[in-house]
Amino acid sequence: MEDYTKFRLKHEDELLNLIENKDKLYIVACNKCFKEFTLEEEQEGYDMIKLALAQGKTIEGFELVNFLCNKPLTAKILESLAQTNAENVIVISCGLGIQTVADIVDKPTYAASDSISYEGRHGMALTKRLCEACGQCYLNLTGGICPIVDCAKSLVNGQCGGAKNGKCEVDNTKDCAWERIHDRLSAQNRLSVLTSQPVQLRDYSKVSFKFVNDYVKTLRKSRYEGFYGGIHPAERKELSEHIALTPFPAPATVVIPLSQHTGAPAEALVQAGDLVKRGQKIGDSAGYISSTIHSSVSGKVLAVEPRRHPTTGNDVMSVVIESDGKDELHESVVPWENYESRTAEEIADYVREKGIVGMGGAGFPTSVKLQPNKPIDTVLLNGSECEPLLTADHRVMLEFADDIIFGLQVLLKSVGAERGVIVIEDNKQDAIALFQDKTANIANIDIVVAKAQYPQGAEKMLIKRTLDRWVPSGGLPLDVGAIVSNVSTAKAISDAIQKGMPLIDRVVTVTGEKIKNPGNYIVKVGTSVNDLINHCGGFIDDDVEVKLGGPMMGVSIANYEVPIIKATNGVIAVEPIVSEADPCIRCGRCVDVCPMELLPLYYPLLAGEQKWEEMRDRAVRDCMECRCCDYICSSKIPIVEAIRFGKRSITEMERSQ
Amino acid sequence: MLITELKQKDDVLSLIKGKALVISCIGCKEVYFPVTEAEELHKELLAGGNVSAVITTDYICNPENLKLQLKKHMDKVEAAEILLVFSCGVGVQTVAELYPNKAVFAACDTYPLPGHQGITPLEPECDQCAECHLSDTAGICPITACSKGLLNGQCGGSKNGMCEVDKDMECGWERIYRRLEKLGLLDSLLYPAKIRNYIAIAGAGANASES
Amino acid sequence: MRITELFDRGEFVLTTEVGPPKGFHLDHLLHEVKEYLGDITAVNVTDNQSSVMRLGSLATCKAIKDIGVNSIFQITCRDRNRLALQSDLLSAAYFGIDNLLLLTGDYTTLGDTPQAKPVFDLDSVSLIHAVKQLESGIDLGGNELDGDPPKFAKGAVVSPCSDSVDVQLAKMERKVAAGAEYFQTQAVFEPEKFFEFMEKAKQFNVPVMLGVIILKNAGMANFMNNNIAGINVPPDIIEELKADPEKTKAGITGVEITARIIKECRDYCQGVHIMALGWEKLVPDLLRESNLVS
Repeated sequence: MEDYTKFRLKHEDELLNLIENKDKLYIVACNKCFKEFTLEEEQEGYDMIKLALAQGKTIEGFELVNFLCNKPLTAKILESLAQTNAENVIVISCGLGIQTVADIVDKPTYAASDSISYEGRHGMALTKRLCEACGQCYLNLTGGICPIVDCAKSLVNGQCGGAKNGKCEVDNTKDCAWERIHDRLSAQNRLSVLTSQPVQLRDYSKVSFKFVNDYVKTLRKSRYEGFYGGIHPAERKELSEHIALTPFPAPATVVIPLSQHTGAPAEALVQAGDLVKRGQKIGDSAGYISSTIHSSVSGKVLAVEPRRHPTTGNDVMSVVIESDGKDELHESVVPWENYESRTAEEIADYVREKGIVGMGGAGFPTSVKLQPNKPIDTVLLNGSECEPLLTADHRVMLEFADDIIFGLQVLLKSVGAERGVIVIEDNKQDAIALFQDKTANIANIDIVVAKAQYPQGAEKMLIKRTLDRWVPSGGLPLDVGAIVSNVSTAKAISDAIQKGMPLIDRVVTVTGEKIKNPGNYIVKVGTSVNDLINHCGGFIDDDVEVKLGGPMMGVSIANYEVPIIKATNGVIAVEPIVSEADPCIRCGRCVDVCPMELLPLYYPLLAGEQKWEEMRDRAVRDCMECRCCDYICSSKIPIVEAIRFGKRSITEMERSQ
Repeated sequence: MLITELKQKDDVLSLIKGKALVISCIGCKEVYFPVTEAEELHKELLAGGNVSAVITTDYICNPENLKLQLKKHMDKVEAAEILLVFSCGVGVQTVAELYPNKAVFAACDTYPLPGHQGITPLEPECDQCAECHLSDTAGICPITACSKGLLNGQCGGSKNGMCEVDKDMECGWERIYRRLEKLGLLDSLLYPAKIRNYIAIAGAGANASES
Repeated sequence: MRITELFDRGEFVLTTEVGPPKGFHLDHLLHEVKEYLGDITAVNVTDNQSSVMRLGSLATCKAIKDIGVNSIFQITCRDRNRLALQSDLLSAAYFGIDNLLLLTGDYTTLGDTPQAKPVFDLDSVSLIHAVKQLESGIDLGGNELDGDPPKFAKGAVVSPCSDSVDVQLAKMERKVAAGAEYFQTQAVFEPEKFFEFMEKAKQFNVPVMLGVIILKNAGMANFMNNNIAGINVPPDIIEELKADPEKTKAGITGVEITARIIKECRDYCQGVHIMALGWEKLVPDLLRESNLVS
């Protein structure tokens, strides 16, 4: 791939002149962008150091920075500069990087490099100069050949007299653009487009600094609002957001995996032939980080056997129950009396007994969160539902607001927090209005309206946005005095306490452009995904991909005969994404969107070279696999796949050491 | 880095004089493409009857990717006389190169984000003049921070520190002067008269234009 | 004649600005020059002033010279690249026009043809440098000129009452270093500020001509305060304009104010530059009232 490098070190005599009366240098170099990506570092910074040392200068520090123009990240990297004795900062970068450093450091900053123009080269078209961004596209008049870029004189009214044998007078290795335009239009029988057009005059006021400046200002304002990075894909929630919840028809059989949560699988309490009732405990938690499992129907246990888990793809022990269609409740399903006088420990035990786990996706046992070993001041309820398409939490908020608020109060009580915050994205105005109304007289509960941005619902983002606290690498929310729970989980807690109902039903959005009749359903855990798809009319056509969860973090499935589990918030049928990976061009977009402030571009390359230690050093374990980098990658590299591979390999490496 | 803006609706509608297919790029989606407005126009175009479908995809400026994305729509591409492209000028020309026998039309005008060639549209700007002046100007670029791109100091047009061209914009030379003053480096303004060397970038442009 | 020779002789130089018409008829302009500007040292002709397209400055200078009046060729960097600028300088030399005022120029979008391409290939400093280089017989491309090189009086502008006067002084220093031989200022309404400015500018050792505008009414003063760089008309002057509308309308107030400013600043400058803005007919009154002519 062509080197698309944007700057070069100034000539030696210029550099000598530059540092002549300066000492105590701090050198900052950019690792460049838009070039073939290898692990080799850019050398200009080291050349500069050599040159300065040869002149007897003191080097107070050196940083080689990836994407120096990325101000938020660069500012963090350069924090250490203030502690040095540096008096002069020498920057090797394009003008963007130099100005970024000059803005940050508050010390004399000097350019040791010149930036080279590549005007007209944008997007992925790295090897061709194609668009000058004139603000008045002429391509409709010229058969899709740009007269501004391809004609050396940028003529817009036809050929000058300078072409000889079809070659340009300015550069005789180039074809005359106007001859190409003429030829293409003739071949398409559209020459009249050219001959009939009025005199074209370029309007240079179109490319108005003001327009661009205003635009950039608004972008900048929204770019880092709340947290760094993230994306905002098309929401497509209109497919199902207005469809009220309906109970999904009772399935004939349910398959209930004993592993629906983070941690150890539950131990089966039933065997084939046993009769069970709805709400009866059929699996017991097998450790501190584990969960109980209950039957969602009344009927007969057909088998306790390995069945395919919906998301891991592995076979896990599952209880298969034939429903008798009566939904007879188990005797344990009764309201929990004297809840008010219970201790935090008792609440946690009760929540564990009712099988409540995080319903936002990961299925982390809620009882564990309820017993923090550090002081908690805030409980955040996540009602952001930042994944495109999904509307399950939205509907739960609209239809079970009181239960959610009750659940939040339980959480507040059990962890002793002063303040509860329900975070709702601004694309759910009806839910915002409802909750503002319902909580108006509750002193310790606030509603925070957040600008829609993915992955807002991730714990760390939610905490950053709402509390402006940063969970340290490898840390948990409780390290910064917060716990985060999903709104649906809060509703489940309320059901458990007020009705005695364990977590056996959940709300699932069935949606996507490829599903005939989208909807939001209250589904019994263990119901087959295939039943849901069929109930919703099946697919529009065969060109379809089914995912459990949202389009970003959802898991693609090929076998639809898998059960809905406690953490399944959606079944989506979407158009499959076809892509082929190109080599990385260091465009830096993944860095721009990574909410964990990592450098995702390194992971595929490091994984390819099996450099697990370096991957670990580059904090790959901080990655929460939100797939923003996959989404934005201009080379279509499956970055998260490499990250998962890397994480597994690091664990294996550590185990063998 | 580019911004695209939709052309006037009537201008776009008037381009559809036969069977057409819309190819809409959301490649640099996060920041610079008017997605909502484009979608509205798509709906109108579809309702008009001549447009068979709207194919929305990303990074159409990558010809290989474009081919891949169009693969399953080839029947529609074949049937269309007109390909109407919603993208920056690069994307339109990529489509035109791929289908030289079809009328390829642009539905957008493309604006540069001058100086925002890096990864994020942040404040700093660079015109890539190939003769960096930042060492003399406290790290503020006189070419992009000054509307006139003056290299030798402030013009007389600023009022209350604001630019004569855009009253919401601070005078770049005033910013340069103030920062140098703060850093105690005002002497660095005593360089001889500077004149831009456009050959430096003409050369780069010409070489770069060869594929 | 180069006005620098007059400065060298210690003469107090008087110039007036005129703007060419939109059209190619100069009769009116030449009539006014003959009728009202007889006591003026040189008439200074604007170059597409305010980015409004008009008859050229060079042709107008030639026409003024032809009626026996000394002229100053204003030249801006907005509309011409370095080839055209140098070429026009040689044309001026051919016509015997040897006084220059070298400016950057207003931005294109401020004028009546905002679609135009803004050039700004050179700026005021590099244009002064270009003139100096031509005077040494070499053009900006480094090529030698045929025959004797031209010789000009190289003028530049500065804003003494600018809200960022230190930035202006820095630029002035650069202009002097590049070869500027005299300065003409933006209109001054605050003599105190002008004195302070001159205190700092005297180190450059170049003649400075005080710029003045004859105010037509309070509205004009307010407009300039809001829109024109480097101009601030103090409230007491605005009150003075409001006091007697008839007198102001007749131009008497404006002339009184301007004459007062000139008299106050007389000892601090080496000349006066009058921007009459259509009130050329009042220039003789102003000169008399300022004691610049008897």
